[in-house]
Amino acid sequence: MKPKQPTMRKGHPASRAAPPQVEFRLRRGDASPTHQPSNPALSALALLLAVCTLLGGCVTATVQEIRETDTAMAGGDAIVVLGRRSQPTTDETELDFITCVGDSMSRGAEGINVIDEQQFIDAVFPWFEPRIAPVNSADLPEIIKQPPLAARLERMRLKYLVWIEGSTERTDSSGSLTCAVTPGGGGCFGFLSWENDSSYEASVWDIDTGTNAGKISSEATGMSYMPAVIVPIPIIARVRSSACTSLANQLKSFISPS
Amino acid sequence: MPFAINQSPTVFRGFANCAARRNGVKVAQASLLLSIVTLLVGCAGAKVAVPTQFPVPLVEKVPLPIGLYLDEALLAYTHRESLEKRGDWEIELGSAQPSMFANLLDGMFVGHRLVKQVAARHRDVAGVLAPSIEEVQFATPEQSRSDYYEVWLRYRFKLHDNQGAELGDWELTAYGKAHKQNHAGTGSALQDAAMAACRDAMAFFTQQFATVPAVQAWLAKELGAPA
Repeated sequence: MKPKQPTMRKGHPASRAAPPQVEFRLRRGDASPTHQPSNPALSALALLLAVCTLLGGCVTATVQEIRETDTAMAGGDAIVVLGRRSQPTTDETELDFITCVGDSMSRGAEGINVIDEQQFIDAVFPWFEPRIAPVNSADLPEIIKQPPLAARLERMRLKYLVWIEGSTERTDSSGSLTCAVTPGGGGCFGFLSWENDSSYEASVWDIDTGTNAGKISSEATGMSYMPAVIVPIPIIARVRSSACTSLANQLKSFISPS
Repeated sequence: MPFAINQSPTVFRGFANCAARRNGVKVAQASLLLSIVTLLVGCAGAKVAVPTQFPVPLVEKVPLPIGLYLDEALLAYTHRESLEKRGDWEIELGSAQPSMFANLLDGMFVGHRLVKQVAARHRDVAGVLAPSIEEVQFATPEQSRSDYYEVWLRYRFKLHDNQGAELGDWELTAYGKAHKQNHAGTGSALQDAAMAACRDAMAFFTQQFATVPAVQAWLAKELGAPA
């Protein structure tokens, strides 16, 4: 393995920078009036808002699986779920998505023993740092044959590595919303909608054989809405959460088929 | 005419036009205050220190004891930079260097100790390593038009024998990044990127050390193996 020197950036990016803009990001509840509801109609609206916040927009999730080898877990075996973090700046999987998949796989009656990502990376440092981490399963045997690493993996009883790539992005948005504040009160009127797409792929590597056991992809799409007649009512599609749950469930049944 | 906020799907852009004087003035004052606060926050820069917790490399150890010389300049190293319209930035790296190099050498050599002078005789070690930071750069997402805070570190390492003679030197450039979506604030993201760069320097050192010609010659002499 030949070490490569990263290059320092040339010139100062500050010269390309645009002047700062004053922006107020829209978050759930930002547009709500700040005063307390003072009559039954406003109380009812507040209740409606609370109920609608709990409602979710529609999410369509698809999971696909490609199996290359048989898999099995014995008692005491463990896996680790890792996010792909390559050094050239590319899209990185959200840290909370990696945590979500790991937590979901370890929960329940048939939960799998999942090692925390950061604990694993520290325990086997520097082998899974972005500079050195294996890029594909063909690189794995060369790395895991290092005697200190092999001994540590053996002690951890690590059976599978799960690499996750992908992200959730906003792909479309439309509509408008106008809010007004007057001496007598305030309110909003309008309609917003936006679509989020999640696309994740998990590769399962077998530590014992140093091969790729299979791949699972999870895609989810969902449209969120925010109608507003006096009070904005957010109806949020939990796209990333849906992609996490479906990917974790499929990984569980893939790694430890019952 | 009421104070109005027009809102696109993702962004509010506010302006005030008040006719109802008393309330209007209050709303305008509040908007002005909010705008000033937002501008100040946007221009504040950040002041961060790299944490001192580092992992110990899990590699085959060089069967030699080594000395480590950390000079005052390294121990006090702080990168300061003022960016036009983006405030003052500070990355304090010096206080993390002792634990970073102690852990690095702990994993790589059978023994190590700090030495107070580099050009002196040290009979209990086979050589002395003297690191220094030559350059630090960073970029914010606004500068690089990306989603990442990035930090580059350039180290220079000098290797001396145990009589104090310099055997050779080499440089090492490390890189760390932190995605802004994983952090609540600028300081946290910049600190994470600086920490990632320090870890990358450690990882790179473990890979690069045995490939440096001066190190190969030193190992051959000390261990009696061919260079």
